[in-house]
Amino acid sequence: MTATATAEVIDLYPEVAEAPRYSCALGGAYVAALAAYGTAPILHSGAGCGIGQQFGQNYAGGQNAAGNYGNTSTPCSCLVEEHVVFGGEEKLRSLIDSTLKIVKADLYAVISGCIPSLIGDDVDAVVKEFRDKASIIHVKTAGFLGNSYTGYEHFLDAVIEQLLEPLPKEKKLVNILGLVPSQHLHWKGSLRVIKSLLERAGVKVNIVFSEKDGLGALKRIPAAELNLVFSPWVGIKAAEKLKEKFDTPFEVIPFVPVGPRDTTSFLYQVGKLLNLPKKNIDRVVKEEEWWAYRSAEYFGDILVIGLPHAFFGVIADSGTAIGLTRYGSNELGWLPELVIVSDNPPEESRDEIRRLLTEGLASVVKPKVFFETDSHKIKLILQKHSLQLLLGSSLEKFLPKGEAVFLSVSFPSYDRLIIDRTYAGYRGGVALMEDVASQYAGPL
Amino acid sequence: MSDRIDLKTSSCPNREQRANGVNVYYGKASEIIRDARAGSLQHQERAFQQTSGCILNFYLTVRISTIRDAVMIVHAPVGCSSSALGYRELFQAVPTSLGRPENLEFHWMTTNLNERDVVYGAADKLKYAIHEAERRYKPKAIFILASCTSGVIGEDIDGVVAETQPEVNATIVPVHCEGSKSRLVQTGYDAFWHGVVKYLVKPPEKKQHDLVNIASMLSYTWQDRIEITRLLNKIGMRPNFIPEFATVEQFEILGEAAVTAPICPTYTDYLSRGLEQEYGVPYFLYPSPIGIAHTDEWLREIGRITGREKIVEKVIAEEHDEWLPQLEAIQKEFRSINPDGELLDVLGSLGQGRLLTQTPFFHEIGVKATAAICQDFDNLVLEETEKLVEEVGDFDLLVNTFQAAEVAHIAKTRNPDIILTCPFQGSAYKREKGMTRIHALRGDPRDWSGQAGYKGAIACGNLLLQSTRNQSFQQTMLANTEDTYTEWWYQQPKPLYLKEEAA
Repeated sequence: MTATATAEVIDLYPEVAEAPRYSCALGGAYVAALAAYGTAPILHSGAGCGIGQQFGQNYAGGQNAAGNYGNTSTPCSCLVEEHVVFGGEEKLRSLIDSTLKIVKADLYAVISGCIPSLIGDDVDAVVKEFRDKASIIHVKTAGFLGNSYTGYEHFLDAVIEQLLEPLPKEKKLVNILGLVPSQHLHWKGSLRVIKSLLERAGVKVNIVFSEKDGLGALKRIPAAELNLVFSPWVGIKAAEKLKEKFDTPFEVIPFVPVGPRDTTSFLYQVGKLLNLPKKNIDRVVKEEEWWAYRSAEYFGDILVIGLPHAFFGVIADSGTAIGLTRYGSNELGWLPELVIVSDNPPEESRDEIRRLLTEGLASVVKPKVFFETDSHKIKLILQKHSLQLLLGSSLEKFLPKGEAVFLSVSFPSYDRLIIDRTYAGYRGGVALMEDVASQYAGPL
Repeated sequence: MSDRIDLKTSSCPNREQRANGVNVYYGKASEIIRDARAGSLQHQERAFQQTSGCILNFYLTVRISTIRDAVMIVHAPVGCSSSALGYRELFQAVPTSLGRPENLEFHWMTTNLNERDVVYGAADKLKYAIHEAERRYKPKAIFILASCTSGVIGEDIDGVVAETQPEVNATIVPVHCEGSKSRLVQTGYDAFWHGVVKYLVKPPEKKQHDLVNIASMLSYTWQDRIEITRLLNKIGMRPNFIPEFATVEQFEILGEAAVTAPICPTYTDYLSRGLEQEYGVPYFLYPSPIGIAHTDEWLREIGRITGREKIVEKVIAEEHDEWLPQLEAIQKEFRSINPDGELLDVLGSLGQGRLLTQTPFFHEIGVKATAAICQDFDNLVLEETEKLVEEVGDFDLLVNTFQAAEVAHIAKTRNPDIILTCPFQGSAYKREKGMTRIHALRGDPRDWSGQAGYKGAIACGNLLLQSTRNQSFQQTMLANTEDTYTEWWYQQPKPLYLKEEAA
């Protein structure tokens, strides 16, 4: 990228940004709690902290309604001035007590936000009083402690510290970590695809989030033989802690595989880690690859006429960006021009993310990689590139972007409903073909 | 209650103080009026409460970001503004053929307060953000929105504004909407208007005798704007719709208008009073142009204030010729639903403003509303509520701001024929009987989504009729999914669980 106008000004506060692509730590912990089915979040916070997540997490994460315990169904201590002055502990005590009477749930997750943290409420002590009455945890997530990804880690940390007990290891059981509900738009579908593929290869899979019995799934975490982290950075802390506490090894699989090629190598990788008979994997791979490539025949005409060797750009969280960039480059014949990683990964992960985005690509063109969360700067980067296909968030939907075909694939995406849709696995590759081509489709 | 708005102060008083507002009550409408008149209407503490919006994050973050040639800076941790992430798309469903400009740009920024900021303060960061906004976007106005965190750490936002204003061209408008400041989200409206009247509205250069200020919330849709514009044009006037989608100039000229007219009285109140006090712009707060009879009265009130009585009567007569037959058809359909002639009972989740506008409308189309849910109640609408009870008779009133368990309770125990809910009210929609939306969002431009004026009355009546024709979704969900709440809750005698009862 050539020098831009921004170079003239010293970027004193890089975190000051237009529309960064996540909510706060409370937001991430909140959607994680909602995703552990049967868990009622109890917000100890200002009254707007739940409603804000309705628009800024649930709707932004593929236009999802919040379900039984979300949005205005979420108990909240609704702190105001008098609590800032006198403390909010009594209010919380009364709220937990009434919630246990009124709200049916298997697990209650008290999620404390900015105010209790700033005024020094002893939330742990209040929560402790209810330990013998219900399964209850406290997730300490002042909003200013980080973003939604951090909040997901805070939720897992609270679960590990307060809920989990050692269990005998179950052979061939793995947990899936690193896919952040709502922030990864396709989290529900991706988790199901990973589960179903691994199960067919003879693995037992606890996807933790969106399992029918959320509390049971959480409690089962220590029984796993292996933890798989599907992100170059999110969830690694939890995996390290699980290793320390329960002696569970973990493997980082830095992205959710999209399409047959990466899905096949992922299956063999897991097979090796768990010493699965190779023939089990062979069988799944053979069936699925045949189906995936036979199905790709249907894509051929519209691809060659509408999107041949398209210069494409990706704007997404790191894991999604890697999966899509590799699939587009390695199997669909597209040319990766540009990748903007929008989930603000820690500095120490960035070299590895850059490597995964630029190495191992069949395309002669290698993408320029940017790490950027500021929607204004992302817009400026886009202005300097001419693309033929853009896979981004719906923030890019109405930006001028020349002739590029556009599909939203990352957070936030308000322009589509995503329930089961995913680009993960063999079928995911076909789903991506369908969705991208549908943005172009017309009489050929 | 003091009617005077004190622009020397940095912000508005809370609705609790200014108008004795509450958001917790269950009883007869006549009782709440009596209690309010007697001064005995007091806040009661809930033992059980659900997230319901704060004065920053019920309304302001999503809406201020839609003001054109302006920038919203939210001085807060990153999550306080994430609800505004839809800003670039919000109006894009409105076709340009219906009046949306082709190139639409909105901008907002967050100061993204972190751990270091809450320890050391973030005044310099806010200054930087203001300069950055100016440099990037060259806006005409910059709105600074306060948050719980900026409030608790004692950030001097007015000080930063005073210091920075001479260095930037944009007019800086601080909005003191710290989330924890008030129990009533409606204080957020006042906090916003306070900033607007104090910093943005200019002394009138000339009076524009055909200009009508209309503060329109986004829960009134693009169709409503079109209908209101049509009606005003017929009487030789033009609307100045603020704040959503308005230019900064539209705020600057608010003092030049001939009248400020309501769509939602609770929303418009502070602005209307401020504009009259500072610039002599007359206003009225009742009725709003919802339903045919109230649209008549709304037009008559504008006509009375601006000396257009004659033309107004002519327009009303013309409109009646067109729309009354359609109203009669709707009334007839509703009558035919129950063979015994019993009117359908409708329970609406309403704002204080919609309580006053929608309830008479229900009666007009031939359904009844034996109860209503209302977000808040304060002295600002006391007289109007008295008028309402005179007009439609007494009814049960549950005052709460988005309390989903209370809504589920009243919906289950009263079991009305139709409930009108906000899109986010938990298990209340899972039921045997009717259910539909109370209103559309995002400036929804479809005819289907209109509510205001004559056209909106017919559209809204038809929408309500549609909801009586098929209940399969809510019945399916009732049969196949869990309810959130315990049997104990539904057996409570009233839909409120107060602290004194829990003790």
